[in-house]
Amino acid sequence: MINRPSAGLQVDPLLDELRGGKPLAIARAITAIENGTPLGTEVARATRPFAGRSWTLGVTGPPGAGKSSLINALIAEFATRRRKIGVLTVDPSSPLSGGALLGDRVRMAKHSSNPQVFIRSLAARGHLGGVTRMTAEIMGVLDAAGVDLTIVETVGTGQSEVDVADLVRVKLVVCPPGLGDDMQAIKAGVLEIADLLVVNKADLPGAEQTAMQLRAMLHHGGSGDRRSVMLTDAVAGSGVSELADAIEQRFRQPPASDPRRRDRRTSRARRSLASRAASWVRDGVLDSLDPRIEQICLEIEAEGTPRRDALRRVLSTLLDGEDGGLMPGPTPLGRGGTDHEP
Amino acid sequence: MNSIPNRIPNPRILLTKSFIDSHDRAIATIAMALRDASMEVVLIDFEVPDDVANVAVQEDVDAIGISFMSGGQVETTGRIMALLKERGVPDLPVVVGGTIRPFDVEPLEATGVRAIFRGGAPLADVVTTFRALAREYREKA
Repeated sequence: MINRPSAGLQVDPLLDELRGGKPLAIARAITAIENGTPLGTEVARATRPFAGRSWTLGVTGPPGAGKSSLINALIAEFATRRRKIGVLTVDPSSPLSGGALLGDRVRMAKHSSNPQVFIRSLAARGHLGGVTRMTAEIMGVLDAAGVDLTIVETVGTGQSEVDVADLVRVKLVVCPPGLGDDMQAIKAGVLEIADLLVVNKADLPGAEQTAMQLRAMLHHGGSGDRRSVMLTDAVAGSGVSELADAIEQRFRQPPASDPRRRDRRTSRARRSLASRAASWVRDGVLDSLDPRIEQICLEIEAEGTPRRDALRRVLSTLLDGEDGGLMPGPTPLGRGGTDHEP
Repeated sequence: MNSIPNRIPNPRILLTKSFIDSHDRAIATIAMALRDASMEVVLIDFEVPDDVANVAVQEDVDAIGISFMSGGQVETTGRIMALLKERGVPDLPVVVGGTIRPFDVEPLEATGVRAIFRGGAPLADVVTTFRALAREYREKA
């Protein structure tokens, strides 16, 4: 029996069971990390050395493109090729209540009882960029548990979901047929991170044309572009085996080096640092009952855009909180991820 | 201040019904009510009772709600309760709702479910029950 994350800090037995691939241990380790408990911090630290052991695949694309259905088909395909598959699916949290409907695995129901497959639904909890704040750490848990293929499905707002690019080796962008507004939404950010572009729902009219337009778009990027466009019908299963081949081939290639990018590990740390700092400031400003912050807001109301000086005062006020404000402690007034009374 | 990390996490609830049963109005209504009450709701349609136990474990939920609109209430629930015990989560609270015939109530209670909501139960009661059961489970070591 494993303690609930809120209970005693039993990190060693939890890690042993986790490394043995026990689903309950994996699940509780993920919960602890998601909730930022002291146990979670310990688990994240202990599993960090394992991070990067598995093949990591990101799946992104606009709502309704068929990401979950395609992952469902890919799980079936990869289950014959790999030993253990981990899937993380991210859905948005309600900005009003903080609650979430996590429905991605409805499409993956047939893998619920396959011991080779571990699926976890994650709520974005206010984090933008298509994944959750703790996704990298959670992937480390899956690595430590012996998963050899990790699939991360992003929220699917279709634009600016580029955080996943720092987390995974191979990026799949799924597009539905029809180059209407969907394409407008994704072409600015998401297409640039794609290793493989997939036009799903290939049975629908316009699929071939969409693929052609995407190929033309890649062609504009220069003849050195090695990326390819594929067609699938996730429900009928056509094109899925070819897609799995293409994904495997990408994993076997050495990672493309891009001189413009910083070392990937540092870049991930930078993003994580930036996003944690941003959410700390955001929560601090929105929740604060500190009269000094109220005063700064009154001044901004009167004078317009916050000046550098106002920003500096806000930061120093926040840092002035008890124990520097940066240590976890009881939150008298929660936001977002908290459990509000009705 | 001190807003990271959030100290009291949202309850996580698994809501499920059989994949054969296409009556999903009730489960959708409950799911939205729980979401609006700040809970994270995982949805699946189960093919076999094992699916419910396995998903509940993987998702580390704090309570399970099973919706029945056709048959098999007592047998399916009993099987799920036994599987939860096998999977190492014997205390995970289970709530049953939907078309529960009067003579099913007693055998259902005997399986160890924590609450039964028959047709006409007020939504607010359902939400309060899930919240209380989830909190109790989380606080119990």
